[in-house]
Amino acid sequence: MPRRPRPADARPARVSIVLADWCPHCVPLSDVRARRLARQLRVPYRRLDIERRAEVRVADRIVRAHGDWAPDYLIPQVFLEWTDGRVDHLFTGFSEQVARTRQGWTDLFRSAWLRRLRAGGPR
Amino acid sequence: MTPARPVPRVVAAALRPPDPHCYGHCSEPVRPHPVTMRLPGSLAVYACPGGVVSVSVYAEWAARDPSTLVLRELRRRASPARTVLRRDLRLATRHGPELGPDPERFLAERGGEIPVRVVYWRRYPVRRGAVVHRLFACFRHGRGTVRFYVAPDSDPPARCPACRRSSRSRVTSTGRSARARS
Repeated sequence: MPRRPRPADARPARVSIVLADWCPHCVPLSDVRARRLARQLRVPYRRLDIERRAEVRVADRIVRAHGDWAPDYLIPQVFLEWTDGRVDHLFTGFSEQVARTRQGWTDLFRSAWLRRLRAGGPR
Repeated sequence: MTPARPVPRVVAAALRPPDPHCYGHCSEPVRPHPVTMRLPGSLAVYACPGGVVSVSVYAEWAARDPSTLVLRELRRRASPARTVLRRDLRLATRHGPELGPDPERFLAERGGEIPVRVVYWRRYPVRRGAVVHRLFACFRHGRGTVRFYVAPDSDPPARCPACRRSSRSRVTSTGRSARARS
């Protein structure tokens, strides 16, 4: 989650999710919620499916540079891109259980961080 | 750079899975067995009463990715060491907002720049002919210790190659201490 100071005029620019259709943590659970997050922040939504050749390269790049990289990395991973070019890792699915991933999303939507972000406050 | 630290209690509580069960083996509850390591964080091995490991989870409060260090520590506890492959270790970063209000507040009050890093080690079962080989854990080598080994999923349960004792009694004998600490 974004913690480093950023220019005051930097705004959220896009929500990206790295996922696969066969992953129960991803579809529909995280796909729907990340899309909702993008809607709440009024930014575009980008879906990167690791099973699609054209998309997996971009997915690998964003995970390696900004996310939880591993040779066989966890999905889903969600990123928030900013107008100043920065990319923040927001969320990685909980390997334990799908229910835990669902709870993680619930907590994120109720978080003080998201309330501040939606209000245009400090990030 | 801020040194890695143990995961604060309020965050550790949020990371703990609520009702873990053995998946694909016996569906019995799995219990976390704490393991002492030469790392600042904590390792919990989730094993069922039959000794089959569902997942091992290492967590620390750090800016770094601890995967390489965790790999080394796990290999020291595995027979043979190559039981632990790098590709079976997966990193997850937890920032606070996805962990609930108390952990979020706790981490935010301390700057919020250092997340919690979690490394999962999950070794999936392998079928060889008609026999499924699974990852077992033996906890009878001293308090806070573990020995990992791969063995056929059989009845009676496989024996630990280091102490030659059955996995079932091993796990039961340490289950009480694991419950008391969790």
